[in-house]
This record gives sequence, structure tokens and C-alpha cells, in this order.
Amino acid sequence: MDIFIVIPTFNEERHIKNVLKDVVKRKLPIIVVNDGSTDATAEILSPFTIHHSPFTILTHRVNLGKGAAMKTGAEAAFAFGADGVIFMDSDGQHKVSDLPKFVEALKKYDVVLGSRTLSHGVPLVRFLGNKFASMLIASLFGIYVSDLVCGYRAITKDAYEKVAWESSGYAVETEMVIKTAKYGLKYCEVPVETVYLDNVKGVTILDAFNILLDVFRWRLTK
Amino acid sequence: MIVVLQFLGVAFALAMVYFAMLNYRRGELNGVEIFFWFLIWAAAIVVIVFPDLLRTFSRTFLFARLFDLIVIGALLFVVVLASRAYIATKRMEKKLEKYVRSEALKDVKIKSK
Repeated sequence: MDIFIVIPTFNEERHIKNVLKDVVKRKLPIIVVNDGSTDATAEILSPFTIHHSPFTILTHRVNLGKGAAMKTGAEAAFAFGADGVIFMDSDGQHKVSDLPKFVEALKKYDVVLGSRTLSHGVPLVRFLGNKFASMLIASLFGIYVSDLVCGYRAITKDAYEKVAWESSGYAVETEMVIKTAKYGLKYCEVPVETVYLDNVKGVTILDAFNILLDVFRWRLTK
Repeated sequence: MIVVLQFLGVAFALAMVYFAMLNYRRGELNGVEIFFWFLIWAAAIVVIVFPDLLRTFSRTFLFARLFDLIVIGALLFVVVLASRAYIATKRMEKKLEKYVRSEALKDVKIKSK
């Protein structure tokens, strides 16, 4: 099974180098989607294409959002012949040591979702918000996922063709879960470790509110 | 007091006509659009100067006061405009996303052939 790693990134000059240094050790094909970064991210990425192969950089000329970057990365991977992709965040919060769990799980499941636990460094407020979201999705769509917004996840090509999300921002993870339930795809959760290096990035209260509106819209329209 | 409010209302409508003209000169509004904006603000000026013209309508639609009819009418107008702006923005977002993503994937399609 050919598995690609897809890493969407936006203004991650502080962390992207260390993330990629670890990921390239795994010898899996890597696609990084630079989602309109305005800092030095592009310059940091360039040398990796020379020293590591297969390593692909795709560039969005303007920032579209995480969901759009993931979609671009996934479509590129499947065009290159991938059978499945693993998505990782570029801020260094995901550990490369968890990658083998996804590779193994993808052999049996259509969708593999990373799941952080409180003991793995998730701030309490985020943990409680996440639990509330999980219960809301369970009651509205009949699927319970313990960590709804964890960006560490994997999907097979066949599943992607059904799930192909419309969200361009942070609602992508939630939409993926909802569509997993809708199409009756086989899914599992794998525990992952998380390191929070940057408190101001990631899903904000405003993002959470927008995701909530999307959830109600999906309930009414899908 | 009412005359002062009417004066402010007319001044506001004339300012909006001026802004509409500016947008037309910049090519941001076409001939049909500028015509409708003129029509809307001209109607607004007429209603501001001669509010009694609407009194018949307010009675017909069972509004207790003329002011209620104007407020509800304006609110409906704003809702229509907001929803149109929302749809237009969404449409633009989709087009932009499609274009930016296809540009990013251009080389991938060539390589994978």
C-alpha cells in the first residue's frame, strides 16, 4: 500500500524545519502544501526537495485555509498513485513516532483518526470544548469520535472520493467525521501524543463558532 | 426637529448617490445597477420629504404608525442586500479556491501523466 504524508502549512517558519527533519526519516513520500505563507516558510521548504526524495511542495498563492490545503495535498498524492494519505499538522504538535499506527490502521480501515487525551498535553479548555463537540456530533449524526478536531488522521483513496470535503478552513476535520458516518465508512481512532508549542495558533473561539454554524447547516442540508 | 431629520436624511441619500456615482465611474457598477441605485435613493428622498405619501400604504398593511412601515421596509431591503452580498462572496470564494488550487496542482498533473 503506497502511503503519502500530506502536511498543510501556513506561516510556520518556527517549526516546519524540525517537523520535516523528523518526517523525512520515515522514508515515506511527502507532500507539503504551502498555503500562501508570507513568512520564510517557502525558503525553509525549498532545500528539502533537493536532499529528500520523493518530496513535493505545492504552493497556494493566497491563503485558502487548512481544508483547501489538505484537499490539494490529497489530490496530488492520489494523482501520484497513493492508496492512502496521512495528514499531519506543521506546527510540531504531532509526533512522528505515531506514524506507524496510522500506516498499520490504514490497511484495515477507510479512515483513521488521531485521538489526543488529556494526559497527552491538551489544555483543559480545549479538551472540554472538544468533548462537547464530540457529543453534539454524536447526537446529530450518530457518530462518536473522542477527538473531533485532531489534525493527525489518515484516509484511503476510495474513502477520499466519497468524503471529499467542501470546507476550506478548520471545519474540515468535523466535516470528514460527519461524511464518514454518512457513507458508512470503516473508521478507527488511534491514540496520539501532542505537544502544544504555540498557544495563539490553531482553532480559536471564532473558528469554533463558525464550525458550530457549519454543523447545524450540514444537519439541515445533508 | 422633523425638518432637521428630513434634512439629514436627504443629505445622507445625496451622499449615497455620490458614492454610487463614484463606483460607477470606477467601473464597479454597470449602467443598470447605477440606474437602480438612483431609483432607490430618489425614492428614499421623496419619502423623506413627503412622508405622508406612504400613509395610505401603512393603513393598507395595518401598520399602527408610518414609522413602523418605513423601518420594516428598510429592514427587508437590508436583509435582501445582505443575502445577495453573502451569496456573491461565497461564489467568489469558490472561484478563488478553484483557481488557486488548480494553479498549485498544475505541475502535479503534468508529472503524473
